[in-house]
Amino acid sequence: MTVYSFYIFDRHAECIYKRRWLPRPTSVGGKPQTQAGLGQTVRAGDDDAKLVFGTVFSLRNMVRKLGGEEDNFVSYTTSQYKLHYYETPTNIKFVMLTDLKSPSMRIALQQIYINLFVEYVVKNPLSPVEHPGGVGVNNELFEGSLEQFVRDQATFR
Amino acid sequence: MSTNKASRIGEEIWKTRVDKVNAELVTLTYGTIVAQLCQDYNSDYQEVNKQLDKMGYNIGMRLIEDFLAKSGVGRCANFRETADMIAKVGFKIFLNVAPTVTNWTSDNNQFSLIFDDNPLADFVELPDDGRAQDELWFSNILCGVLRGSLEMVQVQIEAHFVSDVLRGDDTTEMRVSLVRYIEDEMPPEEE
Repeated sequence: MTVYSFYIFDRHAECIYKRRWLPRPTSVGGKPQTQAGLGQTVRAGDDDAKLVFGTVFSLRNMVRKLGGEEDNFVSYTTSQYKLHYYETPTNIKFVMLTDLKSPSMRIALQQIYINLFVEYVVKNPLSPVEHPGGVGVNNELFEGSLEQFVRDQATFR
Repeated sequence: MSTNKASRIGEEIWKTRVDKVNAELVTLTYGTIVAQLCQDYNSDYQEVNKQLDKMGYNIGMRLIEDFLAKSGVGRCANFRETADMIAKVGFKIFLNVAPTVTNWTSDNNQFSLIFDDNPLADFVELPDDGRAQDELWFSNILCGVLRGSLEMVQVQIEAHFVSDVLRGDDTTEMRVSLVRYIEDEMPPEEE
C-alpha cells in the first residue's frame, strides 16, 4: 500500500495541514507534476487542497441528503487512487489519498485524530485554538509522529 | 441515546481512559485562580464572573476535542441527548460528577443542571464583604466551558448559574439555553 497525500481541513474550510509523499498518478490534470519527494511538506494553500475540499464537502452533503443526517461517506475509488475520509463532530476533516490496494483507512484517520492531532496539536498549550495557515499544526512532534504512523501503515517502495 | 446509556459510557471512560489527578489539587488550584482574579479586579465580582466565563470558553474549545477523542461518540440527535451527554459523560469524565438534568421547558430548549457535588467548591467560603454572596458565581468557569465546547460542535448555547450552595442556596443550579444550531461554514469564494 502507498500513501500519496494527507490533508486536514478545519471548521472554517481552510486547509490547515497538507503533506505529500509520492508524486500522484501522472494522468492527473494537464499541470506539470511537481516532483514532491519522500516526506516533503508542501505549503498549505495550494490549489489541489481546495479541489479536495470541494470534492469531499459536496460529496458529504450529497450523502447526507440521500442517506440522512447521520450518514457519512468513508472513501471513494477512481481508477487511479482511493480517497479516504474522516470527519469529527467538530467539523475537522481528515483526508488521505492512497493507491487502490489500500484497505479502509477510516480507523487509521481516526487514530491520527485521537493519538496525534488531539495529543500534539490541541493539547499543546503554545498552539493556538484556531490554525490559520497551519499555525500550530506544523510542529515537530505532530509531523514526526504522522510520518512514523504513515510509515507503519504503508510499505514504501 | 437514553440517560442510562450515557451514564454507562461515562462510567466506562472514567474507569478506563482517564488519567486522574488529586482532587484537592484541582480544588485548590481553581480556588487560587478565583482568589487572584478577585484581587486583580478589586473585588469587582461582575468582572470576575466574566473573566471566569472567558477562561472557561477557551478551555472548552480545546476540551471538546479531548472529549471526542476519549468518548468516540458521534453527533447528538437532539438537545435532550446533548444534555445527557454533558451531564453523564462530559462532567463525569472530567470532574467525576454527574449533575442531574431537570426543569426542561416545554419546547426542549432549556434545562437545568443540578450539582449535588461540586469539586471546584470544596473548602470554599465566599468573601464576607456583603457583596460576594450576591454577585460572585464561584464556579462560573463551567458555564464558559460548556459554551466553548458546544460551540465547536455547532451548538450555540447560553449558560449561567441561578443558585449556588456557597451563597446559602439549597442547590447549585446552572441554567442552559439553546440559542441556535450553527450552520457549516462554506469555503470562501474564489477571488
